Amino acid sequence: MSYIAGVDIGNSTTEVCIAKVAFDGSLEFLASASCPTTGIKGTLANVHGIKSALKEAMGKLGLETDRISLIRLNEAAPVIGDTAMETLTETIITDSSMIGHNPSTPAGAGQAVGEVLHFEGLVSAKPGVPYILAAAKNHPYEVVAQAVNEAVKQGVVVKGMILQADEAVLVENRLEGNIPIIDEVARMDKLPAGVQAAIEVALPGETVRMLSNPYGIATLLGLTPEETRVITPIAKSLVGKRSAVVLKTPGGNVREQVLPAGEISFLGERDITVNLDEGAERIMEALSEAGEIREITGQQDTNVGNMFRRIRRGMGDGGSVSQAMEPSEESRIRVTDILAVDTLAPMVISGALAGETCLEKAVGIAAMVKTEKLPMEGIAKNLEAELGVKASVAGVEAVMASLGALTTPGAALPLAILDMGGGSTDGAVLYPDGKVERIHQAGAGELVTMLIQVELGLRDHHIAEQIKKYPLAKVESLFHMRMENGQMAFVEDSIDPRFFGRVVLLTEEGLVRLEQEIPMEKIREVRREAKRKVFLTNALRALQRVAPGRNLKNISNVVLVGGSAEDFEIPDMLMEEFANYRIVCGRGNVRGSEGPRNAVATGLVLSYMGERQW
Amino acid sequence: MVIKKPTIFIYTCQPDRAVLKEVCAGMEEEGVFFEIFEQKETEPAQLAWQAAQDSMLGSGVGISGMDAACSMRGLPKKRCVQVCRNGNREQCRSLGANSARAIKRQPLKV
Repeated sequence: MSYIAGVDIGNSTTEVCIAKVAFDGSLEFLASASCPTTGIKGTLANVHGIKSALKEAMGKLGLETDRISLIRLNEAAPVIGDTAMETLTETIITDSSMIGHNPSTPAGAGQAVGEVLHFEGLVSAKPGVPYILAAAKNHPYEVVAQAVNEAVKQGVVVKGMILQADEAVLVENRLEGNIPIIDEVARMDKLPAGVQAAIEVALPGETVRMLSNPYGIATLLGLTPEETRVITPIAKSLVGKRSAVVLKTPGGNVREQVLPAGEISFLGERDITVNLDEGAERIMEALSEAGEIREITGQQDTNVGNMFRRIRRGMGDGGSVSQAMEPSEESRIRVTDILAVDTLAPMVISGALAGETCLEKAVGIAAMVKTEKLPMEGIAKNLEAELGVKASVAGVEAVMASLGALTTPGAALPLAILDMGGGSTDGAVLYPDGKVERIHQAGAGELVTMLIQVELGLRDHHIAEQIKKYPLAKVESLFHMRMENGQMAFVEDSIDPRFFGRVVLLTEEGLVRLEQEIPMEKIREVRREAKRKVFLTNALRALQRVAPGRNLKNISNVVLVGGSAEDFEIPDMLMEEFANYRIVCGRGNVRGSEGPRNAVATGLVLSYMGERQW
Repeated sequence: MVIKKPTIFIYTCQPDRAVLKEVCAGMEEEGVFFEIFEQKETEPAQLAWQAAQDSMLGSGVGISGMDAACSMRGLPKKRCVQVCRNGNREQCRSLGANSARAIKRQPLKV
């Protein structure tokens, strides 16, 4: 009797399984475990992660790792994925000329136009001139309200107010007249006195109407057609706001700049060059028209050129590929596949007063770099030396994954698998005669995380990763929350008041609060759209390439494996899509117990049995 | 006949005037009405808990001297939504605002 271990080193996770081979040749799987991959896939740093995963798995059996008699490593696919994002447009304000934000409690409603007057200047205000009064937060609300009431009695016309403190309602309740008041404007000092300003507070439940319309701004501020054209980006960035201020600063200007995006060149059976401006759809079309790709490059000294350089440098100098390769190998790093997706990124407008953002067009790209063979033999030798257990490299990753996936109850040959990981999406078809067609493609879980982070304007990569993984809920009272699917959940013990009114993630460790005030529906939409853009596109692309006769209809079974197949909604999205092609598709259940994980490790052990019988 | 109005209850015990004023301002800014009642109890948390029980909106504030607390109906006595002892202007204002936001189902101010 002996114990053998299968080890699969992935871009982000290392998985192992342990099986017992009895003297009569029968095989029994005993335990499996997974650990985050230490270092970059294919480097000696991986040994550490492998050891701890093996220790964990053997620990479950109450045994030490030296009881293992053979460790089988996968011949990892020599592909490494990376992601990058580039904005295509940029909005710049050359002179402070707008404020648009969503204070929680503005007061009054309607529009007003007047000359900006700081509170200190109220005593010397001229009667009859319409003013927009601006008060900094060092002036208490009673003082402001009283002074305005008195000034109005003297004939001063105050049409509207801008406050720095969150006191709009307090001031409004003490005013004799009824005017729109905007509060929580941080950069009061940037408001120039004496210029014409238009302010608008939307009715409850509505958003601004006049100031989000170029002609509305022109009407209020009396602009010429030429000036109206110039302020269009302002109107655009005020769409959806509950309150807004537009200033008519002489020489002030807001412009939308189109950045020189550059061209991507596909060098393949046909050489095709496409401009990034044309959008993700056209880029992907060009990619498939180019056929078998030798290399993909970006035009030098443009955004896309820089992006490709970053990806190459990140993987080259940054260590991964150059470390992964033997120093003697002088092979170049070649980008051989990309996945481009259109996205909109909220970017802070340079020059804005209240930190306003504007949705800029952007393209997210996942690229895949092909290297020479990864030095798996080196890892095996190292492992052997450290554990004193024989280790060998056995079998190609895709073949092993197919073998492992085949242990899913209900799966049959010919079997197609989609291995959806963190860095790449791999497709393979396993035929009854043992032949395997396979393909590696750029774009998987990491790209989804990046899209979520960018589109929701999150600073933290970690929280984007969590949004990707967990369903949402909104805490509506101390005793219940509404799930994103509309279901209500009641709790016995009261929910911590810190979560009250917030959107939370339902993780295994309990609730995680989202700091940003983004509506739950919006987060859900962005998350699902990102997954659809990446995985649906890639699944179709991969299977079309490996399908017999390049026709999806020739595939009958698809088993989803890999980390992203564990996702709570991706498999359902793919199943719905593939149902149109009459394909049986679903999340794999390796060995009937492991779910979509551990396919490669299982395949490695199974293939050992096959070899022994020879 | 007792008619209950939809208000936040503020139960006080010889409250500091500045603290009370800021707490009320916080509620007013959020657009929620309130009523003030003087009580014998001196512990702010206990006052807040009782106020939350009695308020039709289920939100209550207790102020004793310079100390304030806000609670909601359903919370255990010892567990207030927010407590501020000897708080400054902003802290008292936000306590008032939070007692109103709790009713409006809005995230609390930190």
